[in-house]
Amino acid sequence: MRVRGLEDFPPADAPVRDGLPSADHHLAPDTAEEMAEVMAAASDAAAVVVPWGGGVHQGLGHRLYPDVIVSTRRLDRIIVWEPEDLTVVVESGVLVDELEAELSTRTQTAAFPETTPGATVGGVISAGVSGYRRPRYGPTRDRILQATVATGDGRLVTAGGRVVKNVSGYDIQRSVFGAHGALGVITSVCLKLWPRAAASATVAVDDPVAAWAGLHRPLAVLQTPTGSAAYVEGPAAQVDQDAARLGGDRRDGLHWPDPPRGEITAAVTVAPAMTAEAVGRITAIGPFVAQHGVGRIDVAGDRSSGWVEVRGWAESVGGRLTITSAPADFYDSFDPWGTAPPAVAVQARLVAGFDPLRTINRGRLPGGL
Amino acid sequence: MGLPEDLAAVVGSDHVLTDGLERFLYGKDAGVFRGTATVVVMPATTGEVAEIVRIAERHEVPIVARGAGTGLAGGAVPLEAGVVVSTTRMNTIFSVDAANRSAWVGPGVINLDLSRHTAPLGLHFAPDPSSQQACTIGGNVANNSGGPHCLADGSTTDHILGMEVVLAGGTVITVGGDAPDVPGVDLRTILVGSEGTLGIVTKVLVRLTPNPPDVRTLLCVFDSVRAAAATVSGVIGAGIVPAALEMMDQRMTVLIENWLHAGFPVDAAAILLAEVTGETPSVTAEAEVVERIAWECGATAVSTAADDAERALLWKARKSAFGAVAQTAPNYYLHDTVVPRTRLVETLEEVYRIGERHGLVMMNVFHAGDGNLHPLMTFDASEPGTLDRVHAASAELVALSVDNGGALTGEHGVGVEKRDLMPLMFSDVDLDAQARVKESFDPGGIFNPDKLLPRGSRCYDFGRPIPEGTWI
Repeated sequence: MRVRGLEDFPPADAPVRDGLPSADHHLAPDTAEEMAEVMAAASDAAAVVVPWGGGVHQGLGHRLYPDVIVSTRRLDRIIVWEPEDLTVVVESGVLVDELEAELSTRTQTAAFPETTPGATVGGVISAGVSGYRRPRYGPTRDRILQATVATGDGRLVTAGGRVVKNVSGYDIQRSVFGAHGALGVITSVCLKLWPRAAASATVAVDDPVAAWAGLHRPLAVLQTPTGSAAYVEGPAAQVDQDAARLGGDRRDGLHWPDPPRGEITAAVTVAPAMTAEAVGRITAIGPFVAQHGVGRIDVAGDRSSGWVEVRGWAESVGGRLTITSAPADFYDSFDPWGTAPPAVAVQARLVAGFDPLRTINRGRLPGGL
Repeated sequence: MGLPEDLAAVVGSDHVLTDGLERFLYGKDAGVFRGTATVVVMPATTGEVAEIVRIAERHEVPIVARGAGTGLAGGAVPLEAGVVVSTTRMNTIFSVDAANRSAWVGPGVINLDLSRHTAPLGLHFAPDPSSQQACTIGGNVANNSGGPHCLADGSTTDHILGMEVVLAGGTVITVGGDAPDVPGVDLRTILVGSEGTLGIVTKVLVRLTPNPPDVRTLLCVFDSVRAAAATVSGVIGAGIVPAALEMMDQRMTVLIENWLHAGFPVDAAAILLAEVTGETPSVTAEAEVVERIAWECGATAVSTAADDAERALLWKARKSAFGAVAQTAPNYYLHDTVVPRTRLVETLEEVYRIGERHGLVMMNVFHAGDGNLHPLMTFDASEPGTLDRVHAASAELVALSVDNGGALTGEHGVGVEKRDLMPLMFSDVDLDAQARVKESFDPGGIFNPDKLLPRGSRCYDFGRPIPEGTWI
């Protein structure tokens, strides 16, 4: 569908990604206000818009056939960074790796995912993705202090504030995390930062469960098919003590494993204490990264990987299996989210206040929302 | 049947209060606002809460949920005739899961009781408001409560994994859980901090935090407020986020010391209470940095709590600050605003000037590490005209914080106190979006009406027709 009024907005190159049909409009607005105008025009035409950051997490959720793909790549400014206040205000199209590189010049971090090159701030937040350092710093959600979104019907809404502690009004700013744009396309956010510690180390461990239990608030304990490692940081004396206690080979710095790659990738999420059992269920599938103490295992496989059985087990213990990337036709036969979470009807009413016609990512969320 | 009889049929007449004095007592929280409850009901189960909601809807009266009533912003005050639902009987700790570091608890469980209950497992509930001996988990959820230790650990929202909620129509939903990354729009996040305006929380899945193996609590003494504030900035700037970083000025320390004899120096202009936690090497290294920066910024003395008893006394003194005020005046008004940490000094200096301009004694005890100010004005409400001066000074305090890039409230909530100040921080379009959140959960406006948002917030007309097919 061609949408009247969209011809005047700055065009973008069509994103290259297998399985995504080309849209009629590829736009890259220059400002938040322009983003809102795009939404208003698209909403008036009852068009479907897919917001596009780096495209890294577009494999999440039901397949869409958008009329408009709107890129955030021109919303690429770090608006204000207050190192003494440990906050940064940043536009949504800024690359996570570029932001982290900038923050590291003053030994700070937003604790964004460590191994998602090309991902944007807005994309990571919209897709609800957290980094490996979650045991220490919490999910990405916890660091969202303020958000400005262009709603599906073209309003520019700001919630929250540029301070680290604030309960003024409903917490819309953190609710955009994982909402895939249902509450609006993120145009900018204010984030809480953390100082990077003086020292850090990656220590090989034989037993990740024991390593997790034996450390006080480690950064991460990860398991892959080739072994397990504990990630620690702090004052040098603390890192030395942690490494000595763990006993395995020590490398200075944080050496994260590559994310699992394959025809199909998925995330198994279970209660944290069930991580080891979940690993037992997926080791035959293919490469994986398991986050002990968190309850998330990312795994790669193919069409014959027994996803149905793994999902059946995960859901039987209160967890789930979510497809994170797959060929387009795979989604026709396998619901990428699994059993819809409860209260989808309540979610739908909330979303209706922001995107009454479901202009943004219509049908992408669990339950077809 | 009448409203009290209908309610008694659900919870038993012992748990319905209609006596004038009781209704009067439930007409206010710990702040200055007052209403009157028509009837107070104390359910014990989720099913009873759902039934109460349906009864209130049938009688077309609003519902105000109430925990311990320790709130200061009027969130639990019934502004119009209606039902006050007290959650104090819903105080069961259903399960504690040490392996997953979580617990399912009733909303009426008292904050400190939970941490005491889980102490043998080496775990605690991190949010620690000064009222933690009395305030409830349900109240913490409603207000997204903070406390001194939220500096490193985050406010209540970071510690809520899931919840069961009764919505309009008596619908019961459960959101979240122990497993991470639940897909879909995160209702848990919008419900935390919603001040009882969207529904009534009946069960909460809280995250528990490991108790630190070692703790070091430093008392830093300064001869100026400016030097103490500079230490706060210096510590944060040095790459350390302590577990807590609390500041109080001389007026406050004198009152506390006079009462509790915690060893606070009464001749100091300001003191800082800094706590670092973790394993011993980390605690030692961070305490050294805090101490060095304090000296560099002009501290006149720095001491470390020698043992658990000394540390406990320091914290008791800090958390009893507001009780100590009773020595000096019959009334006080406690504020809660936030500024960026970098604006602490200039904001504090203006706070004192506001007090002087209005002839009010202004004292400060606050979460300096996150820029969360608690200016406190003492006064005698029986003196004619005093309350007017208090309110005028209050409005200036809030405007000052917002003008300095801050927020209306950091942990107490908007309630009725700051409801009409929301436009200082948010545009018409922003407030309209907030009002849509309210409307989507509570179209009939039955839950805690006239709180959090000023009247008319939903009326913003953004100049576009309502499109066909809109779900209205």
